[in-house]
Amino acid sequence: MDVKITLKKKVQFKEPYLICGLPGIGHVGKVTIDYLIRELKAVLFGEVYSHFFPSYVIINKEGIVELMKNELYFWKDKTSKHDLILFTGNTQAVSPEGQFIIAEEVLNTLLTFGVKKLYSIAAYVGDQPVETPRVYGAATDTTLIEEMKGHGVLPMGNGNIGGTNGLIFGLAKTKNLRGICLLGETRGYQTPSGHTVVDVKAARAVLNVLTQMLDIQVDMAPIETQVDQTSDFITKLEEAESLMLRQMQSTSPENFSRYIS
Amino acid sequence: MSKNIWVNNIGKPKLNEPIALVGSPGLRSIGKLTIDYLVKKLQAKLIAELYSTHFPLIFHTKPSYASHPRLLGDAGVRIRESEIAFPRIQFHFSIFPDLLLANGYHANYNGQYAVAEKVLDFFEEYNVKKMIVLAGHGGAGNEICCAATNLKLIQEMKEEYGLEVEYKGSFYGFSGLVFGLAKLRNIDSICLFGRTEPNSEEAEYPDENAVSVILKYLSRILKINL
Repeated sequence: MDVKITLKKKVQFKEPYLICGLPGIGHVGKVTIDYLIRELKAVLFGEVYSHFFPSYVIINKEGIVELMKNELYFWKDKTSKHDLILFTGNTQAVSPEGQFIIAEEVLNTLLTFGVKKLYSIAAYVGDQPVETPRVYGAATDTTLIEEMKGHGVLPMGNGNIGGTNGLIFGLAKTKNLRGICLLGETRGYQTPSGHTVVDVKAARAVLNVLTQMLDIQVDMAPIETQVDQTSDFITKLEEAESLMLRQMQSTSPENFSRYIS
Repeated sequence: MSKNIWVNNIGKPKLNEPIALVGSPGLRSIGKLTIDYLVKKLQAKLIAELYSTHFPLIFHTKPSYASHPRLLGDAGVRIRESEIAFPRIQFHFSIFPDLLLANGYHANYNGQYAVAEKVLDFFEEYNVKKMIVLAGHGGAGNEICCAATNLKLIQEMKEEYGLEVEYKGSFYGFSGLVFGLAKLRNIDSICLFGRTEPNSEEAEYPDENAVSVILKYLSRILKINL
């Protein structure tokens, strides 16, 4: 079993758009998709399991064992021209080979549902603390780049989009599927033990753009509350980083030699 | 050698929907020691051995179950009393009640899922419908707690044996994956976690007390005198 995609429901889709966001830097993609799933009350219809996922399981709060997995949700609305398929999960493959294979398999399966466009959500990592995150973008064609600009998205120009969130976007182009990658600007903090610090502010910035582009109504009040709740923590991280930088800069060669003598 | 994982069958007893019991080395060796004890106490017979090119003799990760894509370990053979042995998983059986016991082994990063799947394939050949995983956890709480593949089993453990859900979080290595993948195959499974104090110097330093607590509950669940 390299990849196993289990479909729980048979769904007839109307011109669906695929929105992807797996865990990654700042969890920008995952937070964005999870928020849409929650607010739109999207319905789970598929699960993706793979030997390329990290080799452990989770015991949840009810005591039930859960494998590492990715999930597929759908959302339909009479007033919307396009159904949405939302792809996220609690992990992504570790190896490049696994990331390629999973992105390819998921995309191939979803293309059979007639997916018309793909939006992949990722992080744009800056080297400075971010007060108001900007949203950068890349696309599979110039028309989409112009469309993005109309929504205030900054064309990425040059750069890398790592992991499955980048690969699924790149592979879409090879399959003639039009696609946009939206990248929320983040500092990409990690805790000292290497855990990703969730950047809700970056996800909010992406959500503002994405919901405009998709022309859907989503209540943003809950994420505003989450931004307020997490901002203190991020501010403390920024202060700690800035203090560390000041200390490093103040260590002049004389000071340094005194320290080691 | 064309295959990465293979099973040498030593016998093929007729068993009636045996309950599978699974343990492996790891946190304070609780799972492994419990299976070792059961094999001895029940005089269980060896029926098969599973080998894999993914089984290191020497692990480069510490503890052994914390696999890493760049630390694949060293292969080799073990010599015991002049006999040559490869790292392996052994399957034993006993009857009344019919049990299949798996003494697990941690594969390297590339083989963990595939080995766990092969073990479940073996169980399915014997029509296993229920499984009990035996392991340890280093969190707070009572001397034993449980997890399961569904809520009905959790309820049953609570009502019949007073077992609670306490440990939440990650479960690494062979036993965790066998447990998780069993859920996908609809094999009703529970896990008994004996509480222990992790030993940072020697992760697998035996905790006999935790083993005896697990055995006490296992004795009630299986209705046998252990």
